[in-house]
Amino acid sequence: MAARSRGTELDLSWISKIQVNQPAVVRRAEQIQARRPVKKEWQVAWLLKAVTFIDLTTLAGDDTFSNIQRLCYKAKYPIREDLLKALNMHDEGITTAAVCVYPARVCDAVKALKAAGCDIPVASVATGFPAAQTHLKTRLEEIRLAVEDGAKEIDVVINRSLVLTGRWEALYDEIRQFRQACGEAHLKTILATGELGSLTNVYKASMIAMMAGSDFIKTSTGKETVNATFPVAIVMLRAIRDFFWKTGNKVGFKPAGGIRTAKDSLAWLSLIKEELGDEWLKPELFRIGASSLLSDIERQIYYHVTGRYAAYHDLPMS
Amino acid sequence: MTASDAGPSVREIFSTLEYGPAPESHACALAWLDTQDRLLGHYVNGKWLKPEDRNSVPCQDPVTGENLASCLLAEPDDVAAAVKAALEVLGSWSRVPGAKRAQHLTRLAKMIQKHQRLLWTLDSLVTGRAVREIRDRDVLLAQQLLQYQAVQAQVQEEALAGWKPMGVIGLILPPTFSFLEMMWRICPALAVGCTVVAIVPSASPTPLLLAQLAGELGAFCGILNVIIGPASLGATLGLCPGVQKVAFCGAVEEARVLRQSLAGQRLELSLALGTESLLLLMDSADLDSAVEGVVDAAWSDRSPGGLRLLVQESVWEETFRRLQTRMGQLRCGRGLDGAVDMGTRGAAAHYVAQCYVQEAQSQGAEVFQAIPVLSASPFYPPTLVSGLPPASPCAQAEVPWPLVVASSFRTAKEALAVANSTPRGGSASVWSERLGQALELAYGLRVGTVWVNSHGLRDPAVPTGGCKESGSSWHGGLDGLYEYLQPSGTPERLPFEYQDLNYDSFGLTVPVSLPAGPETGPSPVPPYGLFVGGRFQPPGAWSSRPIWDSSGNLHGYVAEGGAKDVRGAVEAAHQAAAGWEHQPPGVRATLLVALAAALERRGAGLAERLQQHGADPEAAKTEVELSAGRLRLWAAYAQAQAQGHTLQVAGLKGPVLRLREPLGVLAIVCPDEWPLLAFVSLLAPALAHGNAVVLVPSRTCPLLALEVCQDVASMFPAGLVNVVTGDCDHLTRCLALHQDVQALWYFGSAKGSQFVEWASAGNLKPVWVNRGHPRAWDQEPQGTGSELALRAARTKALWLPMGD
Repeated sequence: MAARSRGTELDLSWISKIQVNQPAVVRRAEQIQARRPVKKEWQVAWLLKAVTFIDLTTLAGDDTFSNIQRLCYKAKYPIREDLLKALNMHDEGITTAAVCVYPARVCDAVKALKAAGCDIPVASVATGFPAAQTHLKTRLEEIRLAVEDGAKEIDVVINRSLVLTGRWEALYDEIRQFRQACGEAHLKTILATGELGSLTNVYKASMIAMMAGSDFIKTSTGKETVNATFPVAIVMLRAIRDFFWKTGNKVGFKPAGGIRTAKDSLAWLSLIKEELGDEWLKPELFRIGASSLLSDIERQIYYHVTGRYAAYHDLPMS
Repeated sequence: MTASDAGPSVREIFSTLEYGPAPESHACALAWLDTQDRLLGHYVNGKWLKPEDRNSVPCQDPVTGENLASCLLAEPDDVAAAVKAALEVLGSWSRVPGAKRAQHLTRLAKMIQKHQRLLWTLDSLVTGRAVREIRDRDVLLAQQLLQYQAVQAQVQEEALAGWKPMGVIGLILPPTFSFLEMMWRICPALAVGCTVVAIVPSASPTPLLLAQLAGELGAFCGILNVIIGPASLGATLGLCPGVQKVAFCGAVEEARVLRQSLAGQRLELSLALGTESLLLLMDSADLDSAVEGVVDAAWSDRSPGGLRLLVQESVWEETFRRLQTRMGQLRCGRGLDGAVDMGTRGAAAHYVAQCYVQEAQSQGAEVFQAIPVLSASPFYPPTLVSGLPPASPCAQAEVPWPLVVASSFRTAKEALAVANSTPRGGSASVWSERLGQALELAYGLRVGTVWVNSHGLRDPAVPTGGCKESGSSWHGGLDGLYEYLQPSGTPERLPFEYQDLNYDSFGLTVPVSLPAGPETGPSPVPPYGLFVGGRFQPPGAWSSRPIWDSSGNLHGYVAEGGAKDVRGAVEAAHQAAAGWEHQPPGVRATLLVALAAALERRGAGLAERLQQHGADPEAAKTEVELSAGRLRLWAAYAQAQAQGHTLQVAGLKGPVLRLREPLGVLAIVCPDEWPLLAFVSLLAPALAHGNAVVLVPSRTCPLLALEVCQDVASMFPAGLVNVVTGDCDHLTRCLALHQDVQALWYFGSAKGSQFVEWASAGNLKPVWVNRGHPRAWDQEPQGTGSELALRAARTKALWLPMGD
């Protein structure tokens, strides 16, 4: 993964004048999904690329070693080998970008990936995921423990109450502390945009998170009622671009929650390409948090290769 | 299913992540052209018309230059045949119940739905426009238009009682966007019971397909006839007996020629001109969204023309960085590719854009293009021109597609001044997150449509039109319907063209008048002079004209007004106009009621004077009473309705306001008959709608108007009402040729009407002429009523999307 983001001093003037017009952003979001269809070979290549952006995720109360192990093997072998061979893509080393689990399952994931001979990172959610309504001290401790267990990436959730009451300095300080607690692990900051009230707040929270040194900003936990939507993504991507223009630092983006179909994933790729450019289309700067997306992509590739629609039992489960 | 030999492999695309081609299959469009043997004729009376011995022009694929078909160019005979067909079916079509017409329009909408792939691929193939816009927007809008107008037809008998369809409508369509422009106009025309003959350019034959779809509905074959030909056939179309109205969409200069050549004909001419739009970007705006607004307006094949962009100086650099970055992401390519933003518009549009850019560069402008212009390529890249102050010659020309010409301003006031200082008045958008500022600008812009924080939204229920040189016709909404209606009881129009009318000398000189004996008029003697700027002034020419009473005696003298007096009166009116426009309707109403009371106080004197001019005592009394009544009526109207209303629009969160704004300075030439009643009946609606007026009173009896002005002087702001007496033809000439008079109502001779129509080509002001027909000023529908209300103001649509 790329070098850690350095962050900057807190500069509230970067967010004080910002205006986001919601209906205009919604219109742009509708347009962007209809303007860049990708077909045939291009579609296959884009879908394979999308696989390499996936943070293959399981965040359920009933996760145990056995399903974590299945997940990790699917991360290593995301597409059936014979399909890749047919596309002459079997030697590209296509895996998902990471697996993402609860802190208590990090050890399981590290163990399973090691067994699979796979060096992709384990990402762990932390800081009182998904509500962040626990004491700061325990939230920080959670990060440290997850890193000790071998997580290379930490997906923290921000404290929404600080955004909703406009306490931007406090938000900056908290994320700064998260960052320190991460040590060498990468920090992905979940904004939980469905609970921030407005797109203007989404922009401001994005900017604060980047100033505080986040390596990624991430839309949602997947547990809110509204998850990764295009309007929210557009606002966050514009914040990422503005931050890059101001500091020269590239911060990554991770939509998560509700991305289930291959078609969705293509739209997300073209969204990144349009708003930020090709430089952001690599796992160091773009991730998709998803669980069922991968199997839909595999089905599409099966169809492209064989000309037939796959039955469920044709493709290995994760 | 492996990678084709020509294209890149999956492995290559995997590393580059480039976009691939996403072509829409247009086999059906080619198959349709094959059904015509690749020879497109005209669609008249439900049949294809392919006359022998006609010149043909090729219809080419604008990308490859490949000949797709030949188009037969219409000759006057073909136009006549189409008009004949439209006339034949007019009787049955206009007389069937509205519900039946509604059913027919709904069936056409269904027909479009069934054959939409053919429609959108054909249109994209021949015009070069991005298929995405046609497929996702235009075709849907076409169906919505038909459905909306079907509803209007259904309720026509009730909702539009007192109005009847005009008859055969001639429609002249522009080379770009002809399919949609046609739908905007034929839907309301057909709905109210008119029939249509459309002339379409050879470059876009989609309207022919549409006419065929309409023809295949079976019944009422001739209601839509489409012929291919140059816009210059418009005059021929207008001269065909039976055509009641010509609606012209196209270029300003062509419109001027057409206006002049149709002067004095028996028809109405409505104009929708120009393609330029405007975008005002304030520093409080969401800049990124505003940049998307620029893309919508100029670089997404959504609008036919270019964009003038005004950016507040404090965000100039930030805006430019965003714009230029965004331009780098735009894709030009074959329109049939679903993944391109912009197609092509053919060599002619390419040439116009290139000329503008070169001219701008020679005048010191900076030009930014993310993709270089290739002379061999059919595509012209999105282009951003800046550093072109208003005084540079290039800045005054209309911005062509696909250019954006950007300039800066300092304050909102300055933005408004700059924006309003062009002769164009089509559409504009305002980008600001401050509600007060956005509304101030939206109300202040002299255009037909304003979008707040959005650009280019359309809906069948919203009237779209313009002012100034963008032409004053509307399509969409109720205003669009009235374009094709006339009040029941409107007399049959007879030709009144005077072939020999000399436009250069009409009303040029004023006959000399000499002292003519003792005055016999009553005392007190009415004030002498022209009523200009709120007081009575001596005329510039320092001469007078005698007024005779009905028994041939010299009644008195009035001032002989001339060109300089008209100039002074228009100036005075302009000074008063701004203040009056912003008066709340209640204040306007109060003053009109007060004038009514004053008129009644003068009643006896006015009646006496009317009697001297031949009215019997009872009629004189009635005329005074009716006049006071009119003032009261319009006072009430000013408060109740003149302010417009809110529209509900499908697919938009937030209101659209239909505003009724004053025209500005309205010149009115009053008829000779009903010297008091006609004067008041015309003055009252003009004032009620917020206009400032310059009036020429009755020629035979101007003194009544002057007497009323004595009360006007003490009540109304100075300059709001100006009355200039003198030679009617001469004053008409001065007013008709005045470029800063926004509209002209003429109730005089047939010759005068013809001159007024001819002269209005100058600033394309809307004119209303009586063509020499007397009007029943004492009757309800003609002396008052909705026709006057419609003519006395213009519509503006104000879009206010909401959300947070």
